[in-house]
Amino acid sequence: MTLAFFETSQSLTMGVELELQLISLSSFDLTAESPDILALLQRQLFPGFVHPEITKSMLEIATDIHDNYQTLLDQLLNMRDKLILAGDRLNIGVCGGGAHPFQDWSERRIFSKPRFKEVSELYGYLAKQFTVFGQHIHIGCTSGDEALFLLHAMNRYVPHFIALSASSPFVQGKDTLFNSARLNSVSAFPLSGRAPFILSWDDFRENYFTKMEHTGVIKSMKDFYWDIRPKPEFGTIELRVCDTPLSIVRATSLACYMQALCRYLLANRELCQPSEDDYLVYSYNRFQACRFGLDGTIIHPKSHEQLSLREDILMTLRKLEPHASILQSLPAIEHIHQLNHCGSDATYLREEYILRGSVEGMVDASLEKFRK
Amino acid sequence: MIYLTNLATEMAWPITIILAWIIGELAHRWLKLPHISVYAIVGFALAPSQLGLLPQPSSYSMLILANMALGLILFESGYRINLRWLKTNPWIGVTSITETALTFGAIYFLVREFHVSLALALLLAALAMATSPATILCVINEQRSAGQVTERTLHLSVLNCVLAVFIFKIIVGLMILKTSGNIWHATYTSLTTFFISVLLGAIFGLIVPAFLRIIRSTHRDSTLALALAVIFLVLLTHTLKQSPILASLTFGLVARQRHIVLSSSQRGFGVLGSLLAMILFVFVATTLDWHRVIAGIGLGLAIIMIRYLAKIIGISCFSYVSGITHRQGFLIATAMTPISAFVILVLEQSRYLGINLVEQLAPLAAIALIIEVLGPVLTRLALLWAHEISDKEDL
Repeated sequence: MTLAFFETSQSLTMGVELELQLISLSSFDLTAESPDILALLQRQLFPGFVHPEITKSMLEIATDIHDNYQTLLDQLLNMRDKLILAGDRLNIGVCGGGAHPFQDWSERRIFSKPRFKEVSELYGYLAKQFTVFGQHIHIGCTSGDEALFLLHAMNRYVPHFIALSASSPFVQGKDTLFNSARLNSVSAFPLSGRAPFILSWDDFRENYFTKMEHTGVIKSMKDFYWDIRPKPEFGTIELRVCDTPLSIVRATSLACYMQALCRYLLANRELCQPSEDDYLVYSYNRFQACRFGLDGTIIHPKSHEQLSLREDILMTLRKLEPHASILQSLPAIEHIHQLNHCGSDATYLREEYILRGSVEGMVDASLEKFRK
Repeated sequence: MIYLTNLATEMAWPITIILAWIIGELAHRWLKLPHISVYAIVGFALAPSQLGLLPQPSSYSMLILANMALGLILFESGYRINLRWLKTNPWIGVTSITETALTFGAIYFLVREFHVSLALALLLAALAMATSPATILCVINEQRSAGQVTERTLHLSVLNCVLAVFIFKIIVGLMILKTSGNIWHATYTSLTTFFISVLLGAIFGLIVPAFLRIIRSTHRDSTLALALAVIFLVLLTHTLKQSPILASLTFGLVARQRHIVLSSSQRGFGVLGSLLAMILFVFVATTLDWHRVIAGIGLGLAIIMIRYLAKIIGISCFSYVSGITHRQGFLIATAMTPISAFVILVLEQSRYLGINLVEQLAPLAAIALIIEVLGPVLTRLALLWAHEISDKEDL
């Protein structure tokens, strides 16, 4: 199957996918009950899309296409309410967070669907380890070339999204010292990382995708687990580094932050032209954001100067304000501002752990936050 | 020679336990039988009234050990119950009350057909209401099952258990009132026991977590402390002639609300839990006598079938409104077949309290044996059919 042509989307439209945790309200552990909750949700019209994910303790919700903060927030809140209602009837809690703090990966069950079974057979324990929960943000692009420009121009901002969304400090019952431990599970996959530096869609399709397909390593774009990947059938680029935040407002704000950022990049194309050398510092910056969150120090890809991640976000927010104002997403910018100042969900979870004295209490805190 | 006989008597229990373990492992691997079914078979076969390896009568200390085991399992069952679910989904409570009431009524009328006296019929009906959370939890832990059928079976069985003890105590009270005419004695043996046991459990559930919270600076895992507390509570209630069953169940229910950590690796109290559970299920079966099993088999089988039917009707008619399918409702009813471990200990209790029910309720022996062996098998199959146990495909 050769790669489809890049569908044209309306510029700067957005869509959000959230992978959510299914929690047993009896034990606060993950519970393999996605078939039960999906069956119950099917009885009524769902205000969006809901899908199973690779293991039965995960659920993915996806929005329609939006162009502003308010409608996106409304739809996500609607979907959340339906999920909570269904969960309550089944003693299942639904919550965000990039990773469950004490689940045992070997107890996870693969959802019975051919693609999931294939992935599980190929990747072995990696597939079950992949019971981590991310937010994917889609931004509409008018052409494949525009998509690739945005994809690479965005690389410099990837640490922002990691640090702002970080919500996976604990794994297997222990503090990892990371703010986003989730991304370590993604890195284990052979086709993870960054997209090759190609800026023309025709070039990408013919000289990269087709060649890769001939090698037999991949069959479709889905086989790439890149941090940002083009989605030609939607006409979007998809940012995949975010942990699922604990609250819907935060998820919405992150999406709008990316939307405003894309508008800024398109408006300042000359200034923000990406180059292959930008990627010299990419992995280091990404690590800093995962490990230290907003307290991390990154290296500017062009000037090579050291920057505090928190200050870099602050400067970016200032640049984005006029764009956010036009996109009607100022509440999102305000929220990110607050978040940058007060600390991420990972910080909140660590505080709750100390306050409540157990990892179970930490899960309970996530459940409460998702309902707010 | 004297030494040899002594040795055989002294070693009877260790030999039985080891035999039960070996056969349990083999049968689990080859026939996929749940371990506890095999423990029951071994216990029954070696009992004094059958092959007679075990000494007659079953010793008091074994009863205490079995009670401790049951206490630990019931604590964990209570610990896994989310009472808020009854509020967020009232249909769970409706289901529970309907199916227990149906079971009670159906069994009462069935037993009366067999010309059993009024009082005994009422007691039998009350005992048949109860589902054994112990057996169910052992199967759930062994198979690591998860899903709606698992959750609901566990919740309904705990509710069953509380309701059954409550009704049972009331009937015992009425019986005493009828024979002795002493209203104080009657109330004391029935309802006071119920409330004192619940109260003791609740006090433990509040004090133990608070105490652990104060001293817990070094330990994140309170499994050992909880095990000690449960054992203490069981012995205390046993000595006070209260109900260890209700007390440990309430302890678990209340402790859960305090969020103390029973770490997931120690689920079922780890090795200690497994060891005591083995003793429990072997011991329970040793109290059965095959004469009585044969004598009661007709009525016993009828009770099992009618009880199953009542549960199917009671649970299925509310399954759709409560958020699951009718098929799942049917499977929950199937998973709730186990009655016995619980029943027999209740009986043992009453024997110490001065009522000998075992002698009078022959069908119970038959039910106990059949259910002790078949119950876990049916629970496992129900969970398997509900796709809540990981099969090979699931790897």
